Amino acid sequence: MTVRERWTAALAGLAFALLPAVLTPLAPSLLPAAEAQQSPAKASTTQPVLRIGAIPDQNPEKLNRLYGLVANELSKQLGVRVSYVPVTDYTAAVGAFRTGNLDLVWFGGLTGVQASLQKPGAQMIAQRDIDAQFYSVFIANTRSGIKPIQNQKGLTALKGKRFTFGSESSTSGRLMPQYFLSQAGVKLGDFAGGAPGFSGSHDATIALVQSGAYDAGAVNEQVWKSSLRSGKANRSKVVQIWRTPSYPDYLWLGQPNLDQRFGKGFTAKLRAAIVGWRPSDPEQKQILELFGAQQFTTVKAGEYKKIEQVGRQIGKIR
Amino acid sequence: MRPAAPLWVLLPALVLLPVLALLPGISHGGGWELVGQFAAAALQPSLDPLVLGSVLGGLGITAGIALLGWAGSLALGLLLGIASSRVVWRTCTGSATPAGWIRRLLAVPRSIHELLWGLLLLQLVGLQPAVAVVAIAIPFGALVARVVSDLLDTLPTATLEALRSGGAPAPAALLTALGPPLLPQVISYSGYRLECALRSATLLGVFGLGGLGTELRLTLQSLAFRELWSGLWLLLAVMLLLEALLGWLRRRWAMPARLSLRQRAVGRQARELVAAGLGLLPLLALVAWRLEVEPTALLQWQGLPPLGPADWGAVASLPWPGLIANTVLLTVLAATLAVGLAPLLLLVVEPWPAAGVLLRGLWALGRLWPPPLTALLLLFVLQPGVLTGALALGFHNLGILGRLLLEAAETTGAPQQQALLAAGSGPRLALLYGRFSGLARPYLAYGAYRADVILRESVVVGLVGATGLGSQLLEALSSFAGDQLLALVLAYALLTLLGEDLSDRARLWLLETPHQETPHGDGHPQEAGGAWR
Repeated sequence: MTVRERWTAALAGLAFALLPAVLTPLAPSLLPAAEAQQSPAKASTTQPVLRIGAIPDQNPEKLNRLYGLVANELSKQLGVRVSYVPVTDYTAAVGAFRTGNLDLVWFGGLTGVQASLQKPGAQMIAQRDIDAQFYSVFIANTRSGIKPIQNQKGLTALKGKRFTFGSESSTSGRLMPQYFLSQAGVKLGDFAGGAPGFSGSHDATIALVQSGAYDAGAVNEQVWKSSLRSGKANRSKVVQIWRTPSYPDYLWLGQPNLDQRFGKGFTAKLRAAIVGWRPSDPEQKQILELFGAQQFTTVKAGEYKKIEQVGRQIGKIR
Repeated sequence: MRPAAPLWVLLPALVLLPVLALLPGISHGGGWELVGQFAAAALQPSLDPLVLGSVLGGLGITAGIALLGWAGSLALGLLLGIASSRVVWRTCTGSATPAGWIRRLLAVPRSIHELLWGLLLLQLVGLQPAVAVVAIAIPFGALVARVVSDLLDTLPTATLEALRSGGAPAPAALLTALGPPLLPQVISYSGYRLECALRSATLLGVFGLGGLGTELRLTLQSLAFRELWSGLWLLLAVMLLLEALLGWLRRRWAMPARLSLRQRAVGRQARELVAAGLGLLPLLALVAWRLEVEPTALLQWQGLPPLGPADWGAVASLPWPGLIANTVLLTVLAATLAVGLAPLLLLVVEPWPAAGVLLRGLWALGRLWPPPLTALLLLFVLQPGVLTGALALGFHNLGILGRLLLEAAETTGAPQQQALLAAGSGPRLALLYGRFSGLARPYLAYGAYRADVILRESVVVGLVGATGLGSQLLEALSSFAGDQLLALVLAYALLTLLGEDLSDRARLWLLETPHQETPHGDGHPQEAGGAWR
């Protein structure tokens, strides 16, 4: 071995060994990313931190922006430290809620029901005005030859096509579309390749169908509309072919022990804060816009019985 | 009757015929545009400081997880390896029976892929950096234990018996007689394990356990290819540097010095080893502190999610024969593709050195690229299915096998190849008959072992494999179906143990030939009882 070789190897070793030590503080993705606090000067370690999370249903940049704002706003209104913990997987979000790693999570209908079944006493804090009656849309690539569908029976046109859902545990991107498909007599094995794809998120579904990698897909109507508005979805390449009947979806779910940890009446204060967000306040307006809603409302737990039923029928809730 | 040696290496490549025949049937070409964008982005990765910052941060976490998981697996593996060695038990207690039992017990953690360990632990102890570390340490530890005990049991025992009959106590005799010959092999093997740990840490990230893998998956899913390539190039650089460093250390510490022209001072190697070991400890502590790994947090079990009453009827009604058949088919396809393509591609590009360099670059990408990402890319142009999953797994393992073949070829058969060239044969024939024919048996023996790794890995392409055990398992996980999960993990474990047994037999059959000449210089790890695991 030559001297040069030896030096190269030694430098390489040093670089690799020092890498974790030097780089970790930059962006450790398992740790709180956007931490907002009332007053950094008197922040003490004994003060409990409200850890909020969300299912990763959209692009991470958007989630980081949105929940950074939410953390700031809640911290300002409630006077506690609030940090946003990004989670990269629907199932992991449910697990993290059950194990108490997250205090307040923006869940989808299915994951919300899964989480509240796994954590008895979990509190449904709030939902958006659009969530009590939420819709999915089926979209198709314009070159695929799939025509807009008049009624649910028309979904049989998707047999033999390449079809993608969003995440496996998504309510609007998988559970309800699969339910409506099976009502129309379309089984998962009927798609080209013998199985549907799972793109991971609504944005990914739109991009994949638009590119032609899949002929058709099912997405959350709110994300679809906002993609059309922002121009990310190109109407000449991807079109809506059918809108599903309505069903209840997303909600804020809180841990049962919030009052013990943050003081009596904290849960009620939290609910009042979220439900009180109005477009007249510039910051709250931004949050509501990113959520695609006019305002938040309280939740009637009974609404989600339907989701639980469908979940059990499809086998996603046991 | 056996075919001639040169043909052996090319035999598995026959799988290309059915694969190429089936490929047009499953390709839909809808996403060629995306593939084009992806390839173009390789030349212009994003240099945005924000992106680079998060990629570097992710890389730091991945490297840290790999380092800690590797150290844990080595400590665990050495201890358990000694505890499951027949020689050690026989020398200490006179009976080798307990060794057999410990070995059988260790087969269970080994048969479960680190991804499954990670996902199961995630449910048990919650979202913590320590989960990924432990997920790597458990199966790797059991694997290291098997290799160490195999190595121990195949060492010549003459010295040991001499020391024992001379009256030396058992522990001292074992250490003196078996320690020195074991050391170089363990060093060489543990270097290889560190490379594996880096790959595994990246893979765990793809499934949301933190680090660069997470960034890679998210950027791929949002089709942000330029950002994706920033991560890939950086990971490639780190991986190649690590491989170079480990190669250098292996040559320095694990190769016998007797062929070296320069004399080394007696004891220098031991001093270097001790210094490296001591230097590693504070580094590990520092990394653990930086990653906020808290071992105590692992003890705070949250209990399993409240499960509904187990529905064994539903478990039994899963399409088991189909699931198992598809998993086995996926494994065989991926293994034969990887084993067969490596020598074939080397032969094809032999006359053009530039193409050879390109090929090595492609293999490096294959090694570093987590198979689920390849699978996602393949879905842009292919339909989901067994073949798509097999292509993704095959590409990854081709990178690993190709590199091993190149390394082995460097140390063997040069004179034969030169002679054939001088006698006027073409470059390809000279390579095949001069170098590859000598390597055929050990290479295929390693391929048999690799098949058994691929079987375990098949779970990671579950999402596109579409019909195998892997996809069913991921589905059961997201439905929190404990009963199905248990049954599927058991099925996987049984299948892997069966596969391991088969691949062991295949390896023995390949290596035990009447004219078994060892093709490369002694001390090289491939021949040390198949130490490249």
